[in-house]
Amino acid sequence: MNPITPIINGMKITLKHMFMKPVTLQYPTERPQVAERFRGLHGLKVSHSKAKCVACYLCPTVCPAKCITVEAAEDSNHDKYASVYEIDMLRCIFCGYCVEACPVDALKMTGEFELANYKREDFIYSKERLLEK
Amino acid sequence: MVNLTIDDKQVTAPRTATIYEAAKINGIKIPILCHDKKLKPFGACRMCLVEVEQMKGRQIPACTTPVTEGMIIRTTTPDIVKARKMVLELLLLNHPLDCPVCDKSGDCDLQNLTYEYKVNSNRFKDEKFNHTIDYNNPLIERDMNRCVLCGKCARICDEIVSYGALTFIDRGIETKIGCEFDDGLNCEFCGSCISVCPVGSLLARPFKHKARFWAMTKHTSVCSYCGTGCNLTLGVKDNKVLTTIYDEEQGFHKGQLCVRGRFGYQFINSTKRLTKPLIKKNGRLIESTWDEALELVAGRLKGGTEVAALATPRLTNEELALFKKLLLENIGTKNFDHAAGFAHAALTDGLEKSFGTPASSASILDIQKSDFLLVIKTDAYETHPVVGFEINMAVKNKGSKLNIISDKRGKLSKLPETNTFVHVPGSEVAVLNALAKIILDEKLVSAAAASVPGYAELEKALVPFSAEAVSVQSGIAAADIKKLAYEYAAAEKALIIFPIGQGYAGHAADLASAVANLAILTGKYDKEGCGVLCLSEKNNSQGAVDVGFYAQDGALGGLQILDACSTGTVKTLFIAGENPLTSYPDRSRVKAALEAVEFLVVSEMFLTETAAMADVVLPVCSFAEKDGTFTSTDRHVQYFKAAIRKSVQIKSDHEVFSALITLLGGTAPTSPSATFSEIASKTPGYSGLSHVSLRKDGAYAPVVITPSLVVTQVAPYKTVEQGKLAMVTGSALYHNGTLSQHGEGPMHVCPEGYIELSRADATAQKITDSDMINVSSSTGSMQLKVKVSPRMPAGVVFVPYHFSESPINTIWSGSPVTLVALAK
Repeated sequence: MNPITPIINGMKITLKHMFMKPVTLQYPTERPQVAERFRGLHGLKVSHSKAKCVACYLCPTVCPAKCITVEAAEDSNHDKYASVYEIDMLRCIFCGYCVEACPVDALKMTGEFELANYKREDFIYSKERLLEK
Repeated sequence: MVNLTIDDKQVTAPRTATIYEAAKINGIKIPILCHDKKLKPFGACRMCLVEVEQMKGRQIPACTTPVTEGMIIRTTTPDIVKARKMVLELLLLNHPLDCPVCDKSGDCDLQNLTYEYKVNSNRFKDEKFNHTIDYNNPLIERDMNRCVLCGKCARICDEIVSYGALTFIDRGIETKIGCEFDDGLNCEFCGSCISVCPVGSLLARPFKHKARFWAMTKHTSVCSYCGTGCNLTLGVKDNKVLTTIYDEEQGFHKGQLCVRGRFGYQFINSTKRLTKPLIKKNGRLIESTWDEALELVAGRLKGGTEVAALATPRLTNEELALFKKLLLENIGTKNFDHAAGFAHAALTDGLEKSFGTPASSASILDIQKSDFLLVIKTDAYETHPVVGFEINMAVKNKGSKLNIISDKRGKLSKLPETNTFVHVPGSEVAVLNALAKIILDEKLVSAAAASVPGYAELEKALVPFSAEAVSVQSGIAAADIKKLAYEYAAAEKALIIFPIGQGYAGHAADLASAVANLAILTGKYDKEGCGVLCLSEKNNSQGAVDVGFYAQDGALGGLQILDACSTGTVKTLFIAGENPLTSYPDRSRVKAALEAVEFLVVSEMFLTETAAMADVVLPVCSFAEKDGTFTSTDRHVQYFKAAIRKSVQIKSDHEVFSALITLLGGTAPTSPSATFSEIASKTPGYSGLSHVSLRKDGAYAPVVITPSLVVTQVAPYKTVEQGKLAMVTGSALYHNGTLSQHGEGPMHVCPEGYIELSRADATAQKITDSDMINVSSSTGSMQLKVKVSPRMPAGVVFVPYHFSESPINTIWSGSPVTLVALAK
């Protein structure tokens, strides 16, 4: 093969891209369109103005990274609810098993992907932070 | 044994077995919801259907069908699987399927079977139940919506607990388990119904929503309340004991527990536990370090003939033996004791003289083998509930005859064909002597008895105890005493049971000897189902006696040590776990002693009233945080391992004593197991035992008896003055010692001290239930809540001793019967 041919082929691709729309997003001014099934930050679903979670402990049981902490308690109607629901985002591997395991459809994974923080403590998401707004 | 074929496997089974039991013995699993090892076959759930070839392939329940020779059984044919699936479908039709919020999830028989049989849809349709959930009591939650009507709760409450709080009510589809008048549950709260419930209908409220079953690790242990020696399985999560778990294969009691054992574990993880050593500086207890505290204690103990010690029999054998070694060898004092001295005198003095060994001749296992049970003072249920269950089963299932000699009636008095002889308080020994006299006079003695030393002396000493004379004193009819003596002598196997403990001051050496005399005269000892069973109060009372942790060779006993503190002969007192300010008689005497003693060291889990008076308080760990052995009342030596890690700032008593031995220049054993091998080499009956050999089921230390008949001293009869009542002390069903005050369960149902009196006295004094009344004796007066109860005879009141808030030793000075006056 002529040693020039690959260079020409390469330059062809480069030239083609020069006239195409750029792929790079100018983040943070431009934001990506997150897919519906993207697995980002968890969200606790709300129904009748309280969390749907009944603290069944299936999500901490199934979690391979052991990053979910649940503590159950009894409310004034003797119903079970999660008094503590924490996810350690430093440990989470975003596998989505917790959502799959949930028997009451109380947990979802949102498109939220901006999880950077300055302090380690800030990576532990409490129930208040996880509740869907 | 019969031979049969189950699933093409040739097996053998006992003649009395059912098909279910035969399969289980041979490792074949038949699914079931309504069966428990302890209960009689019932056949409610129809899950255990099997096919028997001889019965033309019909499906029959395995749990109610006895095996016969040559039976050919199939447990899993397609037809059977189909039938079982249908049973599950029908059960799930009305079951709420609220597994996510049900605490039984993970341990639920219905859930497991549904999973196993892959029942994931239902052909039928029906409405769910809408029963009201019973939250009326703080310990047991009853949700009848989840019930599968197996009847286990109703059956265990009737067959074993003999309370009968639960039963089936209504008929057909309306059937449910209910309490009297379909009201809330109000019973003894032993929680047996919870333990057998196959679904989440009955749940323990203290454990509600605490953890999932699969998230807990299960640790077997030994209960640390009474001397019965029940085995426990502790459910542990995150280094916390969260609950007790039922295991029908565990111990002689097959997992059956009482309210204290099942619901009284919260003291282990109590937030009130001491966490750091405390040293008194300028009159206040200040947190300190172990080094400083131990240096200080060791300095005071050095060369101490003026040192004395009291230890609780809740410590392990190893700790008691090491404490004894520290006191004898490194400090040089023989003044040490446990449980006030009198509380174990029945063993160390009474049975020591009569049997030549400080131990009971019978074991708890003998109860169900006996034909005739004579129980003294209580019905044994109040002090040792699990022993009470055994008595109940002996009477109901084996037809044993139960006779109770007591100053009040008890729950077991209601059992069929049971005689309760209510006597005047304090006349037990006289009644026993009268029985012995009749046995002697009527020539009912065994052939060997005449050669037992002391026979002639006893015969002479018993002359004044004719049935007629004792009848006047005790209030039991002479004919009844005679009949009882005849029946006891005639019974092939007869067992006498009596409790001892700090509440039972009258149950000392003389009572034990009087009881032993009866057994020796009739030759009813050293045989199966015969003998004397002395129920020790604390989990290791018998162990404390076995390792010799009590005053011997003229040393000072518990109460004498306190007197010596007051007079100044004892200058340093080491109290390991005891709480004499509440549990020893005569509070002012105890208080004066603890104030007078120069230096008081207390090793405790909690800052008790006694610990608050100490100069140094050492925080020590509970049974769940250490290894060791406990010896139950019938010399069953059981090894237990730590279930949780102790906090770094807490030491076990074994570590404390080891550290002190080292500081005093001695050599301490390396571990509890090393101490135990020392115990095994010195203690009669313990030889050959080691922690390794005890690991599985423990071992019974044999008791060797050399009988002798002992003349007993009968305390002078106390006449009740006009307007006064005879007060007897003892143990409440819900409590044991002063430790159970830190268990939430017992405190939910019995939170404070009370005075139990008869209806007649209540009417006469115009007192009603729950009134606060002033009770005064010659030593003091105090306020107590009234409990009017039909079981008390007129003129007698009963007061339990466990409560720091209402310490009855302000009015009780240690006599078996105290005369008290009541005032509103």
